Amino acid sequence: MNISRRIFLQAGGSAALLAATGCEQVPRNLLFGFQSRPVRRGPFHPPVAESIDLIAHALNRLSFGARPGDYARINRLAPTSEEAFRAYVEEQLSPAKIDDSWCDYSLRRFTETLNQPAGDLFEYQEKFLLNEMMRESVLRAVLTERQLHEVMVQFWTDHFNIDPSKGDCKWLKAADDRTVIRAHALGKFPALLRASALSPAMLWYLDGRANRKQQPDDKPNENYARELMELHTLGVHGGYTQRDVMEVARCLTGWHVRSKEPFYKGKVEFKKHLHDNGTKEVLGQRIPAGLGEKDLDRVLDIVALHPSTARYLATKLCRRFIADEPPASAVTVVAEAFSNSQGDLRATLRALFGTPEFQVARGAKFKRPFHFIVSALRGADAETDADPKVIDYLLRMGHAPFGYPTPDGYPEEASPWMGTLLWRWNFAVALNDNKIKGARVNLKSLKQTLGGDDGLMAHFLGCRATAAEKQGYHGSGAGLALLLASPGFQRC
Amino acid sequence: MATETFLSGNGDRQQTLVAVFLRGGADGLSLVAPIEDDEYHKARPRIAVSKAQAVRLDGFFGLNPLLKEIGPIYQDGSMAILHCTGSEDDTRSHFEAQDLMEHGGLVAGGWLGRFLRFRPQAGRGALSAIAVGRELPECLRGAPSATVMQSIDEFSLGASGTLAGELERLYALESDALGGAARDTLDALRRIEKLRNTPYQPEHGAEYAKDGFAQGLKQVARLIKARVGLEAVSIDLGGWDSHFTQGTMMDPLMVKLSKGLAAFYRDLGRAMDHTTVVVMTEFGRRVRENASFGTDHGRGGAMFVIGGGVKGGRVLGRWPGLKGDVLEGPGDLPVLHNYRNVLAPILQRHSAGADLGQIFPKFKIEPVELYT
Repeated sequence: MNISRRIFLQAGGSAALLAATGCEQVPRNLLFGFQSRPVRRGPFHPPVAESIDLIAHALNRLSFGARPGDYARINRLAPTSEEAFRAYVEEQLSPAKIDDSWCDYSLRRFTETLNQPAGDLFEYQEKFLLNEMMRESVLRAVLTERQLHEVMVQFWTDHFNIDPSKGDCKWLKAADDRTVIRAHALGKFPALLRASALSPAMLWYLDGRANRKQQPDDKPNENYARELMELHTLGVHGGYTQRDVMEVARCLTGWHVRSKEPFYKGKVEFKKHLHDNGTKEVLGQRIPAGLGEKDLDRVLDIVALHPSTARYLATKLCRRFIADEPPASAVTVVAEAFSNSQGDLRATLRALFGTPEFQVARGAKFKRPFHFIVSALRGADAETDADPKVIDYLLRMGHAPFGYPTPDGYPEEASPWMGTLLWRWNFAVALNDNKIKGARVNLKSLKQTLGGDDGLMAHFLGCRATAAEKQGYHGSGAGLALLLASPGFQRC
Repeated sequence: MATETFLSGNGDRQQTLVAVFLRGGADGLSLVAPIEDDEYHKARPRIAVSKAQAVRLDGFFGLNPLLKEIGPIYQDGSMAILHCTGSEDDTRSHFEAQDLMEHGGLVAGGWLGRFLRFRPQAGRGALSAIAVGRELPECLRGAPSATVMQSIDEFSLGASGTLAGELERLYALESDALGGAARDTLDALRRIEKLRNTPYQPEHGAEYAKDGFAQGLKQVARLIKARVGLEAVSIDLGGWDSHFTQGTMMDPLMVKLSKGLAAFYRDLGRAMDHTTVVVMTEFGRRVRENASFGTDHGRGGAMFVIGGGVKGGRVLGRWPGLKGDVLEGPGDLPVLHNYRNVLAPILQRHSAGADLGQIFPKFKIEPVELYT
């Protein structure tokens, strides 16, 4: 929705002012259409069951946490909670149909920068760019109505991890985020994989750009070939050998990214003269000589929908959505759905959410720090701009967006994150006291919206509070802080 | 959830590494001058450290007189000095050289961050890594926990003491790893709280100056003594880019560096046995002084390693001399000791299982013999 130009012309006076002064301080409302923050008017019915019910469970796992009113809205989608759950899943599986204009509007100041073509991103200072990327990522997770899409964006960001601190990734990761991860997060896996393979940031990060054969005794760079199979598709026990790694590396020789040249920075090109054009054999399949850049397509065809890939991705998805130790029965169902649909991620997820294993695994996963922070901001309906002070908490917990150094991405399971309670509690207290720059909570209206103390507790915990939780809430003198810091809110 | 122990706040004695980065390219030849090398005095007729003023080290090198406070650390045998150190980056660009040095190569994440993350029993305490200052330096990128701070007064659960009590009660009902993690965290909080409420009295007559560098080191000393699980610290002292009237730029910085390190060393006392301070910079400077009493970007610089059992009282490595043919490019001291070869043995001493291949990828480590 590109309305800025039209509104800009309409706002002739202010536009002239802008042109005359070159001043960037013209209030943006004059230049762009103005939207105000949606008001959530309650009181809403919060969960009342003694343990987490299906709808609260869905919000825990398919979103980054319930905002006031989310639980009630989903319940209204259908007469029974099973039907409402299915309707919510379907709604979230079609993100394009969900109106997200408030989120888009709120993120304008970030997307104006980050949505530029890869080459133009080089105009920015890398620290500035990283900062904008981190803030955009947190703010979108807080604001978007397309929550499952955002959850999957994070999943694939870890799966195809690129740390932008390496080389030109400093500039190119922003483009990767947009054109690889976001574009395909709920699409088809083969398309996602192909986009990643040809992403300039990935070619930098895993040295694909340095994988070439110019002289007869040039050795290919195996870095990307190995991770393609170990991390992106088959999994480490997926049945490939060192020979396969070397053969895949040979297939991918010749792909190049333009770097410091004055023009076409970040442009990906295939350089014939750097390609090894001989015969190769990958996972038992012969790739004839002379295919040139088509070798890439052959390799991706072999690995993208390989049964090992189906199993490996199903395991990771089940770990994300079901449990750290994913039940084998569910993994089998999800892997079959992946294979039967030719890697359609919507069909795969639909199958996952339909398994009984998913439906009963409630409240037992430990939220990663990002999920914790975002769910707190969403739960408290905090007004936020994801100020660097908010990001600071993620840095302290070792979970800042785009901050993981190696290609395996942030770990999903609980144990590496157990040392983060100190900062979770600190955050809880600071948010309760409105002491975090760029995050404001109106506790009084929040309580009203949720129908009082009991409703507020149930909203954050996903079920009725226990006697111990109630005692803590009332006894702590800082009820919201206690809830956010409580064991119940660390889990989802 | 597997049961694990978390080192934060359980009072274990930690090895702590304090990395001091002198940003801007500190002139090694002014910090540690080869006073007995005639070429040195010829190349720097106006700005050389004179034989008379230098703090004598080993008969060949002399410390800049403004670094005299750290002289006794060298004499104690607790400080080793290396000359001709640096990286393979020869762009002589601050940005490129710092980037490469902090990342440990053309690689993602910082060397200190990867050290903390990739090893057996990686410290996962909330306070395992601290950057003193306002922003996270690249060397700590990727750490499992990294806190940017200026003062320990920033860690607290706020005024509400009852909250900690209520949390303790709630988490006591948790039987899995979460309950254990909460107990460790509450322990750490109590230690920090105690620290905050006790005015800090440096020991052994140490006196910290008022500047930010010394005050930062003071906070680090407090945390080390409180045993909150601190394993790595990054602290910067910037402003060494002395193209112009070198003395006016470097002199006050050398005083800060020397007084800060000396106070820290004195304050920690025996705790220096398990604390290593390493001082580094992105590159050294041109051997020949320029027309404006300064020096331009060069290659080889100096590093200092203090404490942690280093066999000090030595200037390590071979001195190549300053004759024309040994100098590199436009006339720079060559890099004979890649900085990784200095850091690697320190990291291994701090954590025997450190995976050097992961910390410094694509580099064949030839460790400098710091401990023998």
